[in-house]
Amino acid sequence: MSENLAGRSVTPTTSDGGDGQQTAVTAPTAEAGPPAQVGIEQRDFHLLAWLADRGIIVFTLALVLLAAAFVDGFASVDNITDVFNRAAPIGIVAVGMTFVVISANYLDLSVVAQVATAAVVLIGISNETNIPLAMLLALGIALVYGVVNGVAVGVFKANAVIVTLATTFMGLGILRWASGGSIYFGPEDSLIRSFGTTEIGPFPLSMIALIVIAIALHLVLTRTTFGFMVKSYGSNREATRLAGVNISLVVIGAFILSALGAMIGGFVLAAFSNTAVSAMSDGFDFEALAAIIVGGTSVFGGRGSVLRTLLGVVFVSVLTNIMVLSGLGFGYQQMAIGALIVVAVSVDALARRAAGI
Amino acid sequence: MSGHVTDERAPGSGRPIIEADHISKHFGGVFAVDDVSLTVSPGEIHGVVGENGAGKSTLMRVLAGILRPDNGSVLVDGRQLEAGDTRAALDAGVALVHQELSLVPEMTVAENILLGSTPSQAGLIKTQELKQVAADALDEIHVSVDLDEPVVRLSVALRQFVEIARAVARKPRVLILDEPTATLTPAETDYLLDMLERLAERGLAIIYISHRIPEIFRICHRVTVLRDGKHVDTVAIADTRPEDLVDKMVGRELKLDLQDRREAGEPGPVVLRAIGIRAPGVNDVDLDVRAGQIVGLGGLVGAGRTELVRAIIGADLRSAGQVTITAGGSTTRVTSYRSAVAAGLAYVPEERRADGLALTMTVADNVALPNRHQVSRSSVLLVRRIAELAKRLADTVGLRPPEVQREAGDFSGGNQQKVVLAKWLGREPDVIVLDEPTRGVDVGAKVEIHRLIKELADTGAAVLVVSSDLPELLDLADVIHVMRDGRVVGTLPSELADEKSVMSLASGETGAMIGV
Repeated sequence: MSENLAGRSVTPTTSDGGDGQQTAVTAPTAEAGPPAQVGIEQRDFHLLAWLADRGIIVFTLALVLLAAAFVDGFASVDNITDVFNRAAPIGIVAVGMTFVVISANYLDLSVVAQVATAAVVLIGISNETNIPLAMLLALGIALVYGVVNGVAVGVFKANAVIVTLATTFMGLGILRWASGGSIYFGPEDSLIRSFGTTEIGPFPLSMIALIVIAIALHLVLTRTTFGFMVKSYGSNREATRLAGVNISLVVIGAFILSALGAMIGGFVLAAFSNTAVSAMSDGFDFEALAAIIVGGTSVFGGRGSVLRTLLGVVFVSVLTNIMVLSGLGFGYQQMAIGALIVVAVSVDALARRAAGI
Repeated sequence: MSGHVTDERAPGSGRPIIEADHISKHFGGVFAVDDVSLTVSPGEIHGVVGENGAGKSTLMRVLAGILRPDNGSVLVDGRQLEAGDTRAALDAGVALVHQELSLVPEMTVAENILLGSTPSQAGLIKTQELKQVAADALDEIHVSVDLDEPVVRLSVALRQFVEIARAVARKPRVLILDEPTATLTPAETDYLLDMLERLAERGLAIIYISHRIPEIFRICHRVTVLRDGKHVDTVAIADTRPEDLVDKMVGRELKLDLQDRREAGEPGPVVLRAIGIRAPGVNDVDLDVRAGQIVGLGGLVGAGRTELVRAIIGADLRSAGQVTITAGGSTTRVTSYRSAVAAGLAYVPEERRADGLALTMTVADNVALPNRHQVSRSSVLLVRRIAELAKRLADTVGLRPPEVQREAGDFSGGNQQKVVLAKWLGREPDVIVLDEPTRGVDVGAKVEIHRLIKELADTGAAVLVVSSDLPELLDLADVIHVMRDGRVVGTLPSELADEKSVMSLASGETGAMIGV
């Protein structure tokens, strides 16, 4: 038992534990630091961790290829344009909301009220006055949403799900009261309408707007101190506070970005349909969330990216489109989105555990 | 260093009760435990030593059925345990006292002790029986604490004892303790070690992990040394010396210069001044720290040291008191934590994983956080500058491996602590407050962290250190304030301070009491 191995070399010998590959990457390091760990990519292969990290790229590609090969009518310019038109508003909402998710505040449910409000304000107010005034008013409302949500969550430390559930309720109440529940129709010759109908090739302007916004927000997340603090806060809020960061402002900022995304999403949605009504954004919260977490952004915070969300939007939109083309109705689509979220958050949680965090 | 090793102790010669048979376990591409065998007999206290990352905790978790080994098996009484089955291990009588406390804070002492084995009938908890079993377990380890007290109100030390009672309540035949004394004061540690000796005399097999060599020599019969996941040696304690053990742990000649006191120069002007500090657990404390001076805060766990420093720097609210930081020719009143940081404060918190690091972010990003103004221009991050800063600071603190693009969570405890230090070194702080800077850190990292702290003071920083590790405090501090019950009860300049003088102040001469 007490076999003396003190003189043995620390260079790993090929043990019969695990497969031989594992030993091959265990290089001897200097002295007695932590055990030799050569690089992150040489970690043990965990299917779940891989799924959470890279799965979206493969799945999106596979889904698009399968749809193109097997679903009638998918690979037509008209259909692609249609997918983009429907993807753009949700996508813009989702890329903004990604900041809230990365800050470990789960999600911003109030985007439902925010999108509808922005759409109704854009069409309703511009009908009576002009577009810039309508947009300015919508911007003001978005800032109010961002600050109210952000202060409740970031300063008072209230739970983000409950707070934004409540502000959705309030916001939709105010919108229905102010609009009397009416449907607003825009004039056929307005600038709004022409934005909603202009296409460059198969790309509607709304899709181009989504891509531009996503790239801009990607840069905000990865290249600015603000985005950096959002990520850090999501990873460990106390460590971030103790680094001297004003963490309340970080949370408020994340909710403001989410509100701005929802506002632009509402504009794009209104432009596409040229109508606006308080119920038009039902389900935006969950579809945006689905895009974010399917993309691989962790609901535990600290990990994620805007470009991932963009991929997630493509995946969710193509999936929905396939169902529409296959004649599966809205009920099926809802079921699919719900199931997708359950699977994605479970993979996220399991991958986190597999990674030993 | 040497304990009272006596010859009549049976060095684990009896029939083993638990046997680890060629255990291997790897995480990622790395073997945490590589072909390790171990036997422990009834009545034996078997020490397991090794630096952080040596594989001690992983091995123990395999023994307790928490982890499934890739290879090898665990035998209790000669019967092989189902691999990776916690229940089976418990039923066979293997109980693990966790390194990280695993109690439910809101539940009572009694409920925690019987957590997972709560006596019940038809789904209803049998309260009387619950309390009886809990009381018996506490009696067995000679600890008195109110059974109905929520654990959240207990001191860290008492929580540790409740954790042990929880293991004992399961009537184990093998008790595994993983660094049980890391958070305990010397008096509490004594108490715990006596308790373990009593339990072993009654035939319990005990596996005892510790960084503290004197503890190993005091209670263990045999000791197993692990290094880099491999079994280095198992020796009877009577046949070895502390120096040999340390050599085997680190696998290289390491000068234990922990006792090399710094040649402190004349301290400069007062940088950190705290007057009349009151906060929960802190009762009217005044404190000055001068430029180039290391001030130590000693005392028992629960004396209010952490509470005091957190109140001083504004990390927690204080109910009364004034704090100023004087640096670079201007004096700032500390009204919030951020104002303290802006005035040149650096803070290395007690709980490094919870409060010090974003574990899912890279070392470079962790380092960049407090230095974000340095590595950005008009809020735009300069990626190259982050990498340069991180590289430079990683070199300064001796991060191993020096890979700053790896996630902080991948590193060992000692290296994580170096990252926490590196974060602040980039700001060249005027005041640095360190709370338990080397808790749970291996010997090599400890030496390096001490060197860094001394260098900071030598370059003119005002340093305030809280430590329960007396040799550390004596090594680092130019002056030691000893706290008891939220007050500073005595101040010892380094030339008058020794373990005895600090302890007698800390314990109030009456001897440290365990219990409520």
